[in-house]
Amino acid sequence: MFRQLQTRFGGPLAMAIVTLLGGWLIVMVALPQLQMIEYSLKPNLLPAQLGGPEDRLTLANYATLLANDIHRAIFFKTLWSSVLVTLLTLAVSYPLAWYLAKVATPRQAALCILLLIVPFWINEILRTYSWFIILAFRGPLNEVLMMLGLIERPIRFLNGNGGVMVGMVYAYILFMVFPVYNAIESLDDNQVRAARDLGAGTVRTHRRIVIPHAKPGIATGCIMTFMLAAGSYAVPALLGSPGSRWFTQIIYNWFFEGGNWNQGAAYAFLLLILCIGFMSLVMKIFKVGLGDIGK
Amino acid sequence: MDGSVRLDEVVMRFGDFTAIEKTSLAIGSGEFFSFLGPSGCGKTTLLNIVSGFLTPSEGQVVIGGEPMAGVPVNRRPTAMIFQNLALFPLMSVFENIEFGLEVRGVDKRRRREASERLLALVALEGSGPKRVTELSGGQKQRVAIARALAVEPRVLLLDEPLSALDLKLRQHMRAELKAIQRKTGITFIYITHDQGEALTMSDRVAVMSAGRIQQVADPMTLYREPATGFVAAFVGENNRIQGRVIDREGERVRLDGGALGELAGRASSETRLANGEAAVLFVRPEHLRPVAAGVAGPRFDTEIEAVHFEGAWIMLETRLVASGEKLRVQLGHEVSRNQADALAVGQRMAFAYDPIDAVVLPDDGSPVLDDDTGEVVESGRAKAGGAHV
Repeated sequence: MFRQLQTRFGGPLAMAIVTLLGGWLIVMVALPQLQMIEYSLKPNLLPAQLGGPEDRLTLANYATLLANDIHRAIFFKTLWSSVLVTLLTLAVSYPLAWYLAKVATPRQAALCILLLIVPFWINEILRTYSWFIILAFRGPLNEVLMMLGLIERPIRFLNGNGGVMVGMVYAYILFMVFPVYNAIESLDDNQVRAARDLGAGTVRTHRRIVIPHAKPGIATGCIMTFMLAAGSYAVPALLGSPGSRWFTQIIYNWFFEGGNWNQGAAYAFLLLILCIGFMSLVMKIFKVGLGDIGK
Repeated sequence: MDGSVRLDEVVMRFGDFTAIEKTSLAIGSGEFFSFLGPSGCGKTTLLNIVSGFLTPSEGQVVIGGEPMAGVPVNRRPTAMIFQNLALFPLMSVFENIEFGLEVRGVDKRRRREASERLLALVALEGSGPKRVTELSGGQKQRVAIARALAVEPRVLLLDEPLSALDLKLRQHMRAELKAIQRKTGITFIYITHDQGEALTMSDRVAVMSAGRIQQVADPMTLYREPATGFVAAFVGENNRIQGRVIDREGERVRLDGGALGELAGRASSETRLANGEAAVLFVRPEHLRPVAAGVAGPRFDTEIEAVHFEGAWIMLETRLVASGEKLRVQLGHEVSRNQADALAVGQRMAFAYDPIDAVVLPDDGSPVLDDDTGEVVESGRAKAGGAHV
C-alpha cells in the first residue's frame, strides 16, 4: 500500500499520510481499547488501594455476568431482539430495495431515495423523540386509529419491545436498504425475465434468482444493522420501558451511575465478543466471506 | 402439439411512438420463421409481444389456437433464448436446464433424466455438474438451448442468440440450430439483423423496417423478388439505379436511364408501374459480368476506383463514366487469373447484366442504407439516383 501511495503522491507526502493514519489508529483506536481491556481485568479499587495487594489481574468482572441472572437475561434478550430488529429491517428494506433497483423509473427512484435520506439530516435523538411522540399513549397514532374506529381505546405502544423495534427499524433502515439495493441493481434484468419465461412465479424468482444474487448485499446490511442494534443506546433508552432494557443501558449504568468502569469495560467486551462470534456464525451459515461484504 | 402463432392486427405504441404498425401474420406449426431487420425496426418488440413481456396496444397474439390476452409470461407455451443467454451464473448446468421443470414440480429423478437427454441433444454429455461460468461461448449457447427446450415449449423464441459468437462458431451453430429445429419439430421464431442467419436457416423470413413488415417470403424469393426497395437494399447487396419507365411487356420493363441510355429489368406482375413513372433498377454486384467495350445492349461503362480481394471473390468499387454514380461489382470465377491480376485502379471496364436478374420497383423513396452499418441514412426520395448498396 505504501508503494502505491508513494508512486501517486511522492515519498514525503506518502510518509506523512501513513504516519498520520498509523498515529490515528494507534492513539485513537488501539490504545484506548487496550486501556479498557486492562480496566476490565482489574477490580474496582479506591485510589488508596491502587498498587496494593488487591491490585491484580482477575476475571471476576467477567464472571459477574454469569452470576447475575437479570443481567444475563438482558444480555441474551439484547442479542435476540437485535436479531429480530435485523430481520424486521430486512423485511421492510428488501421490497423497497427491489422497487428502487428494478421497478421505479430513475425519477421515482431519486425521489424515493431523497425521501429516505432527508429524515437522517436530523439528529438520531430527535428522530427517536419524534417516534416517542407518535407512539405515545395520547399521541397522534392512537388518535388516528381511534378516529378510524380501528381501536376503541388507546394502545400502550411504548410498553415492552414494540416501540424499541419500530424505532430501531426506522433508525437503521438506510444501512440495510443501500447494500441490498446495490446488490439487486447489479442483477441483469434478463435473469429475472428468463426465470419468468421458464415459468417461475414471483416468489420463486426472488428465492432462486434475486436473493442468491443479492446475498452479499443482504449479509452486509444484516451485519451492519445487527451491530448497530446491539450497540444502540438512544433508542431503547427513549422508547423502551423498564421491561425492555437493552444491555447497553446496563453498561452505561456501570460506567456513569455505578462509577465502576472496570465492570462496565468487562460488560462492553462481552457484548463485543458475542456480536463478533454471532456474526461469524451467521456468515458461516450463509456461506458469505468477508470478501463478499466488501463488494 | 400445435405450435402455430398468429398475430391479429397487432399494434404497439410507447407513448407517442409507434413501435409496431398494424401487423397481421400467421406462422405455421413447426416452421422456422425469422424476423430480419436493422436495429430499431421493432423485431425485438414483436418477440416480446409473443413471449408476453409486452402487452400489445391493440390486437392480439394467438398461439396454438388459444388467444394469449391476459396469459402472463410464465404461463405461455413459449420459451425464449436471450441475446445474452441469461444463464443463471450461480447454478450448475444441470440446475439451469432443470429450472423450468423444478418450477413445474417435476420430481428430481425425472428432472435429471430430462436434462441428461437434452445435454445429449446439444452434444454436451457430462457437462451437467459444471458451473456455467466454466463453459465456453458455444457451450453456453447449447445450455441456453437445452434450458429453453426443457420446458417443452410449443414455440421457441430466439433473440439474436448467435450475435456474441465468433464467425466460425456462428456458422456452425446455424447448422446445429436448424438440425435441432428439425429434430424437435418446435416452431422457431428467430430475430436477427444478420441476413446470412435469416436466409440460411429459415423456412420463411419477414423483413421489417420502421415497425412495418415489408415482405414475408421464403429466402430464395426474398433474394430474387424483393417486394420493396427496402428489401432489395437490405437483403444481399444491390446497386440502385434510377430511371423512368419507357414501357412494359409482361414482366419485362424498359427504362430510360438518362445518361446511361436505355436499361432493362424485370418486374413481377404485382408491381404497378406506369409508363413515364420514376422507377429504380436494382442490379446485384454478383449479377454484373465484364464485357468488351462497344457490345450492344444495356451496358455500364465504368472506371475502377478500388479493388478488394475477398478470397472467394473480388469486389470492385467503380464509378459510372456517364453519370458519375457508384457501382459495385462482384467478380467470381468468370474472370481468369490473368484478368484478375490486371485489375487496377483507374482502369476502364464495361459490365453487363441479364435483365432477368435486375428487379425494377417504383421509386417509392425507400430508405437508403449506409454501406457499412446497414443503418438507414436517408429516407424519402433518394438524391440524384445512382448506385447505393
